[in-house]
Amino acid sequence: MRTLRRSFLWGTTAFVLAAPLTRVLAQAPPSTPPTLEAMTARIDGLYRSSGTIARIELSIVTPRQSRTLRMQSWSRGEDRALIVIEAPAREAGTATLRRDRNLWNYLPRISRTMRVPPSMMLSGWMGSDVTNDDLTQSSTFARDFAGSVVGRSESPAGWLVRYEAREGTVGLWRRIEYVVGDDLLPRVARYHDRAMRLARIMQFEDVRELDGRRIPTRFVILPQDREGHRTEMRYLSVDFDADVPESTFSLTELERGR
Amino acid sequence: MISTLRIAWRNLGRNTRRTLLALSAIAVAQLAVLAVEGLMNGMTVSIMSSLTGPMVGHAQIHAPLWREEQSPDLAIDRLEERLAAVRATEGVAAALPRIYAPALVAREVDGRAALVVGLDVLRESEAGGMLEGLPAEGRPHDRTALVGAELARAAGIHVGDELAVVGQGADGSMANDLLVVGGILSTPVEMVNRMGVVVSLETAQEIFVMEDMATEITLFGTGSIEDAGSLASRVAHVPEVEELETLPWSELNPELAGIRDITGLYGIVVMFVVFIAAAAGVANTMLMATYERRRELGMMLSVGVGPGRLVTLIVLEALMLGILGVIIGSALGLLLVTYQGHVGIQLADMGSAGNESISFYGLTFMGALHPFLEPADVVPGFVGVIVVSVLAALGPAIGTSRLEPMEAMRS
Repeated sequence: MRTLRRSFLWGTTAFVLAAPLTRVLAQAPPSTPPTLEAMTARIDGLYRSSGTIARIELSIVTPRQSRTLRMQSWSRGEDRALIVIEAPAREAGTATLRRDRNLWNYLPRISRTMRVPPSMMLSGWMGSDVTNDDLTQSSTFARDFAGSVVGRSESPAGWLVRYEAREGTVGLWRRIEYVVGDDLLPRVARYHDRAMRLARIMQFEDVRELDGRRIPTRFVILPQDREGHRTEMRYLSVDFDADVPESTFSLTELERGR
Repeated sequence: MISTLRIAWRNLGRNTRRTLLALSAIAVAQLAVLAVEGLMNGMTVSIMSSLTGPMVGHAQIHAPLWREEQSPDLAIDRLEERLAAVRATEGVAAALPRIYAPALVAREVDGRAALVVGLDVLRESEAGGMLEGLPAEGRPHDRTALVGAELARAAGIHVGDELAVVGQGADGSMANDLLVVGGILSTPVEMVNRMGVVVSLETAQEIFVMEDMATEITLFGTGSIEDAGSLASRVAHVPEVEELETLPWSELNPELAGIRDITGLYGIVVMFVVFIAAAAGVANTMLMATYERRRELGMMLSVGVGPGRLVTLIVLEALMLGILGVIIGSALGLLLVTYQGHVGIQLADMGSAGNESISFYGLTFMGALHPFLEPADVVPGFVGVIVVSVLAALGPAIGTSRLEPMEAMRS
């Protein structure tokens, strides 16, 4: 399998969560499922970008309240990203920098930068259902998971692709299932934890053309262990293959007045 | 019958050495039983009060679902109104509003998981509170916080440092603020020592957008910890908190209630062993004392004392010895336990040198153990020791009464 270098929207959790997808999509299939390799090749191109600048809206819904954040993200390669919150005003300027497996948060109100410790990696980022850990996951999917095309899926209609964690892999997920539509775009992903409980569902919605690519532009994350909780991420705009210099991802840049 | 009683009584005085020996065996048995019982009582209370210590209290009020999700928005709102109603409830000695907010704290760039604890500083400074014993100038106020001793040591935090705190507000927003370290806190509550950043309730309310809110109301009843269940159900019916969840400590911490139960079970086993040992001592003494008198008893048979009367006589003697011995033993035991209870047994002496407390299951046991006795504690020893001494005498007595007088005298 060739190297899966994904650069699509880093800095957006969707990118990370969608990572396995990159292996899933292929040319339009009639009745016989496309091969895993074909899907992989297709999706690899779908999300590849040398540098990405995106505007994202994040809606966090809990049973009792909901709020919406608007942010801009810059990403480069698989392990560089910077997210800056633009709205609401109370949190504007709050920024998160990812370099490799490290995360830093910049808090403009107190002018302080803080590194997120390993013990907090499973906590939600900005109170959402996206964890800090999700933000730092690299695409080790091919190495950690063995994929197989299971067959047709009825609800939603498409091909069911199953990824099983390889023996000895340390991670949150034991099995991830994708349903890929006939247009070869992902519809839904189901994450099963180590005890094989369905822990998280992610829906891919609102397929539109953004910067010349036809892609799902809204991602809905439904944690299964917390009823009534959902996090929605929507792309307002994406600029693929943008010029994002490495210097964007420095602590100095993180703290730059915005 | 009366004369039998008189003879029995006189018999006791006839061999003072034997009587004193039996008496002291019985007294020592009761003394041992009481001493152990007092110690177990003191231990149970020590464990119970550590269990319910300042952190757990007798009962707690939370927003429903908080215990499952611990989500920041699951706070108790209309706090002052609810507090007033709870404090006016019969049997409530204290109702302490508390905020527990997980947060990242950082002295420099490296964040560390901590728990911001917002407390009603004045009330918590009273006896039984989380800040008991702190001098007024050492308490948290405004943006000045106290940091748990272990957290401070692990994170290299010193008095005067400025700490950045980042967490999640009750409205879901990112809460962040700067705090100044006013002191390092060592409390009986292990969790606070290990993770706590203690601020005033007002400060926590500001940082975490929790105006007129708290995470928990910790309740202390006027009665003992045994009444926690009825305290909780009484408070649960107060209209102002009816929609919230009020539970006694044993339901909040079933594993701690389990420790208490195991301690109780352990106590019963220890008591049983002590009891057997005491009974064996008494039985041995009484058996030997009766066997020793076979010749004398044979003489009585030969002068026409019936076997039934003989047995009655010996049993009466044993009964009198038993009652007398147990009374002496009880008096000595009460004296000993009262003295121990007054002085206290230092727990620190049992731990490693230099430790003033023992940590167990996240709870710290401080200071001394105070044994005590309740009136009912005397009963098992009283009954048990007397029954054993009578039974022990009964066997050889019956055996002797069945012998021919000559045979008995010859032995």
